[in-house]
Amino acid sequence: MLAGQKLRKTFGSLVALNDVDVSVARDKITVVIGPSGSGKTTLLRALALLDPPDRGCVSIDGTAFQFPRRNSGTLAPPWPKVTVVFQQLFLWPHLTLRENILLPLRLNGGDFARFEEVIRLFGMIDFLDRYPNEASLGQRQRAALARALVLEPHYVLLDEITSALDIEQTGIIMNYLFSLRDRGIGLMVVTHFIGFAKRILARREGDQLVFLEGGSVLESGDIGVLENPKHPRLRAFLAASQLVS
Amino acid sequence: MNVFDILVRFHRAFAGGLKVTLYLAGITWLAGLTGGTWMGILAHRLRGVGIVLRSIAFLLAATPFLVMLYWATYPLQALLGVVIEPFYTAVTLLSILNIVGVAEICRTALDDFPREYVLAARVSGLSAMQTVMRIELPLLLRQVFPSLLNLQVSMLQLTLFASLISVQELFRVSQSIDSQIHKPVEIYTALAIFFIGVCAPINGLALWMKHRFTRDISER
Repeated sequence: MLAGQKLRKTFGSLVALNDVDVSVARDKITVVIGPSGSGKTTLLRALALLDPPDRGCVSIDGTAFQFPRRNSGTLAPPWPKVTVVFQQLFLWPHLTLRENILLPLRLNGGDFARFEEVIRLFGMIDFLDRYPNEASLGQRQRAALARALVLEPHYVLLDEITSALDIEQTGIIMNYLFSLRDRGIGLMVVTHFIGFAKRILARREGDQLVFLEGGSVLESGDIGVLENPKHPRLRAFLAASQLVS
Repeated sequence: MNVFDILVRFHRAFAGGLKVTLYLAGITWLAGLTGGTWMGILAHRLRGVGIVLRSIAFLLAATPFLVMLYWATYPLQALLGVVIEPFYTAVTLLSILNIVGVAEICRTALDDFPREYVLAARVSGLSAMQTVMRIELPLLLRQVFPSLLNLQVSMLQLTLFASLISVQELFRVSQSIDSQIHKPVEIYTALAIFFIGVCAPINGLALWMKHRFTRDISER
């Protein structure tokens, strides 16, 4: 289980996270929704310890990281057991897609059979030797996911990865996510697309939704939260997104 | 007497001048590339050093090199009550210029480097050292190499000014030979050929590296 308890993060006077509790179970998907600036990305980065919280506890498969740190020693990084796919992907531009995926594998002494498996899963064979700027957005999305997956992470945190994709590409990515979950990987999907969140949560019981606003969790639960929202702010948010869609 | 005859007849003098020019340039390059790189890294990491570096770079960019050279040779040494050999004055000033220039190129590249490439490396399990060696350095070197090479060519060309404070470098030697045989066309043609011979390959290398490594990496 990857969990954050009472996570608090401030940037100057801005409270980005305010005592947030969230968890991501292995073979489950946690969808985090909320308007822009609600703290979704901050939460994701705090959980991955990329930008640790000021206060609270992050626990990863039983290992707890308490903040503020009692000793000033360096934090044992949880990567790539916990890994992140960023909204802008950040594939290394001087390497081809193949090299982007293989570099972490080579340096971490990973299993190359896994590379072949992931490439097949994502249907990447035809464009592996392109540089990121020569590949389409969908191809880059798949490469970024493949880079994260070859090292067999326990948890993958995905930050708005479908924000620039069309419906068809989004559907493809969603199927990838389901297949990852079925392999026992815990996923946190940060998104502001309600339709995408609904389609993920409708697929299987046990996946959960977290609605974040102003750095606080206003409501959480299963897909029922989206069907019968209790918090007026979530109701307003859903109504606004329905209006747009 | 053609260019070739002049080169043969005065080859010792030219060789001496060439040696001084190459010393000037070599020391300047070495000081600039090593000292400038470290200074650039420091300026990137320490805000105070960065501010000082930018201020110095701003002042140096606004002051003609000849003014600096004369000022360092005459008023400054008079004020300090010291007499420093012109060669050392020239090489110190050229080195300072090169250190500041290289440091600014490095600082800018480091400041502008997208931190997310590093984060992507860290979450992919690369160690801090692997991230530097495999991600940061290759990307940074591609970015700074053409500018660094162009700067080094400019530094070589600036060594000519050392002749004005009596450093016996190539230009000064050429002037001396011209005063003896009065063949300015041939002598300065030989000088031009020398500088083209040294600078053109470096410029060519900078251009090649720019085309080879700094291709458009922007994503569509």
